[in-house]
Amino acid sequence: MSVFLLQRLGQALVAIFGVMTLVFFIQRLTGDPTYLLVPETATQADIEAMRRSLGLDQPLVVQYLNYLWDMLRFDFGTSYVQNVPVTQIIASRLPYTLQLAAGALFVAFVIGLPVGLAMAIWRKHRFTNVLMGIVLGAQSMPTFWSGILMIMVFGVWLGWLPPSGSGSFAHLVMPSIALGLLSMATYARIARSSILDEMSKDYVRSARARGVGTGRLVGKHLIRNSLIPVISISALEISQLLAGAVIVETVFAWPGLGQLTVQSVQSRDFVVVQGIVLLGAFVTISVNLLADILYGVVDPRIRKGGKA
Amino acid sequence: MIRTSIRGIVIATSLLSAPALMAQDFTVNLVNEPSTLDPHQQWNPDSYYVYRNIFDNVVTRDDAGEIVPQIATEWNQVSDTEMVLTIRDDVTFHDGEPLTAEDVAFSVQRITNPDFGSPQLGQFNQITGAEVTGDYEVTLTTDGAYPVLLAQLVKLSVVPKHVVEDVGDEAFNNAPVGSGPYAFEAWNRGVDVTLTRNDDYWGDAGPFETASFVAVPDASTRVANLRAGTADLIVSIDSDIARQLEGQPGVQVLTAPTERVAFMGMNTTRPPLDDPQVRKAAMMAIDREGIVQGILAGGETVVDQMATPSHFGYVEGVEAIAYDPEEAARIVEETGAGETPMQFATSPVFDQRIVQAIQQMLTEAGFNVEISMTDMSTYLQAARAPEQTERPYLSFGRWSCACQDVDGVQFPLLHSSSSWSRVNDAELDGLLEQGRTSLDEDARMAAYTEVQKTVQDNAYILPLYQAVALYGASDKLEWTPTANESLFLNRMSWSE
Repeated sequence: MSVFLLQRLGQALVAIFGVMTLVFFIQRLTGDPTYLLVPETATQADIEAMRRSLGLDQPLVVQYLNYLWDMLRFDFGTSYVQNVPVTQIIASRLPYTLQLAAGALFVAFVIGLPVGLAMAIWRKHRFTNVLMGIVLGAQSMPTFWSGILMIMVFGVWLGWLPPSGSGSFAHLVMPSIALGLLSMATYARIARSSILDEMSKDYVRSARARGVGTGRLVGKHLIRNSLIPVISISALEISQLLAGAVIVETVFAWPGLGQLTVQSVQSRDFVVVQGIVLLGAFVTISVNLLADILYGVVDPRIRKGGKA
Repeated sequence: MIRTSIRGIVIATSLLSAPALMAQDFTVNLVNEPSTLDPHQQWNPDSYYVYRNIFDNVVTRDDAGEIVPQIATEWNQVSDTEMVLTIRDDVTFHDGEPLTAEDVAFSVQRITNPDFGSPQLGQFNQITGAEVTGDYEVTLTTDGAYPVLLAQLVKLSVVPKHVVEDVGDEAFNNAPVGSGPYAFEAWNRGVDVTLTRNDDYWGDAGPFETASFVAVPDASTRVANLRAGTADLIVSIDSDIARQLEGQPGVQVLTAPTERVAFMGMNTTRPPLDDPQVRKAAMMAIDREGIVQGILAGGETVVDQMATPSHFGYVEGVEAIAYDPEEAARIVEETGAGETPMQFATSPVFDQRIVQAIQQMLTEAGFNVEISMTDMSTYLQAARAPEQTERPYLSFGRWSCACQDVDGVQFPLLHSSSSWSRVNDAELDGLLEQGRTSLDEDARMAAYTEVQKTVQDNAYILPLYQAVALYGASDKLEWTPTANESLFLNRMSWSE
């Protein structure tokens, strides 16, 4: 067990190191940010001075080694543009992204599950095809379009919800729906197939034979048993949600990490981009590590190195 | 039962989105949050829209564009390189401490200190010293005669020495203390900055008790906020959106000509553009009126020189080469200029509709032009390449020095020593230097008149149009936006 754990941990560290190196060099390929930071009237000497003060005048290898050394000490640097420690910037944005991800997951669950259930139970009904069409439609709409549409309808015409921004529960509603629609179809599909699976099992048939009604059968047995694959897909969906948040956060002026990413990439704020990418990599790798460990706990064959 | 609960939700949610109360709180939608609120650090619109309300500048421009007193009530050029400023004696910072000559001198020293690394250094680096020479008197020294000094001081904010030294640069940026009409209240990172009116302001502080500047990156969302009443003023809209807004109830579009001059630059050191005839042909090929009317249609006007009427040094009666596609084609044919492929360097931040239109027009005249699109920093690296001959053949740009003086436009674009210039003409260099170093306004005007003539005769650069800034606002707002692209809250009011 501990050898397996150490192995996995080692792999995770290598992966994080790889991400750190990649993000460092890819960003440097896109050009020198100094030019974007100085005004048009800056002379060549001003540009040189700026470059020196950012440490960008050093050879790339030196910059890279400095960067690694800083990372080892958990010093994530200071934003070029804002002159504020990156950890502080990210920490202020992270709660918004988590709120939005939670809201979207909730929307995806609350709509996706019943829809999947309905499609499984009445799978031969004509209505099911219509429902499937609606689900696919909702998933296929690009968020930058459906988001604006929602803002116009609910924010401007009806005035029910604030058109954009943050600060109250009402602000969270539209962005959560816009982002949640993406995952909703996935949940509906998974729920449908997993319930269909369950329905063909022996215990369902014997329950029916005993005279258990559909409502009771679904409520007491089917939903619970078919939740397992739904929960395991959630781990994957969370990283999807973080990626989708880039657009939703921009459209709804939601001040999360997605918006920060776009802003920082545009202004070549290397240090902030590095921080966000590292955080993303860390989350993804940790979740995977955790899953690996859990699989190992559940299934001894994985733990022992799979010699089967 | 269900109906009542739905109504309950509707009422609850519409309460949450109730429009901002008129006359009390004023909400501005910016594109991004300010980069810094320390006025000596970043210098981009989203930052200075906010901090110009927190801080006073040494001098300012009134709505007519004239330089008028702010912190300095008088300025005297005592020698070619020395200017004495007289400071107001009735100004206090938001923490209650008086603003002194010490603070003014400190502000100049801070922003010009290379170690501080201000991105604005290039605007002030001709100032070599700032000394307190009296109770309310500061003497600035420049490294030579510098006529644009006063125009630069319009942008120099005065910060309190005691606070900056006490708390340090980082803390000062997070919670700035100024002397302006609005005091800093809170900066909710990524969300908004709120300011409250400084009721002890020495001048008119304006009608709004509080003001918030909210970051809303998407233009359509800013428009929705304005129409829903959750924003009173929105920045950065294009002419298409402006047309949509016109005719909507409750909103208006405000237009201000800026001091930005759009131009087509040519590398006059690279064949075939080293031939003045060929450059003239390139100019004749461009239908500037068509670009302004047909593509932009936001109130821009064609300009015939690298200046707008709001610049010092604008020469009356100059006319650029007229649009004449047939003659252009004839010259291209005759000189064989169409044989050399020329790169038109650009990046996504420039209006690609115009880049493509120019390319199209040049191609129709027989030139061989290919658009070379790169990201902004790569573009800048090429545009400012150390060797003049390596800078792009063709480019489109919009230039502003934010100083309303032609020196700030023409020197960087035309003087051979500038890292932007693609012109190498000793006579022109001399004229531009005269304009830059003479303190006599008449002598300067004479120099710039000659500059115009030289630029015209040699077809060095093609001025296109004067850009405008478009704002969306509540129709209750009374405000005259000016060429300096500032949002001075104390110059705005409600119309009721």
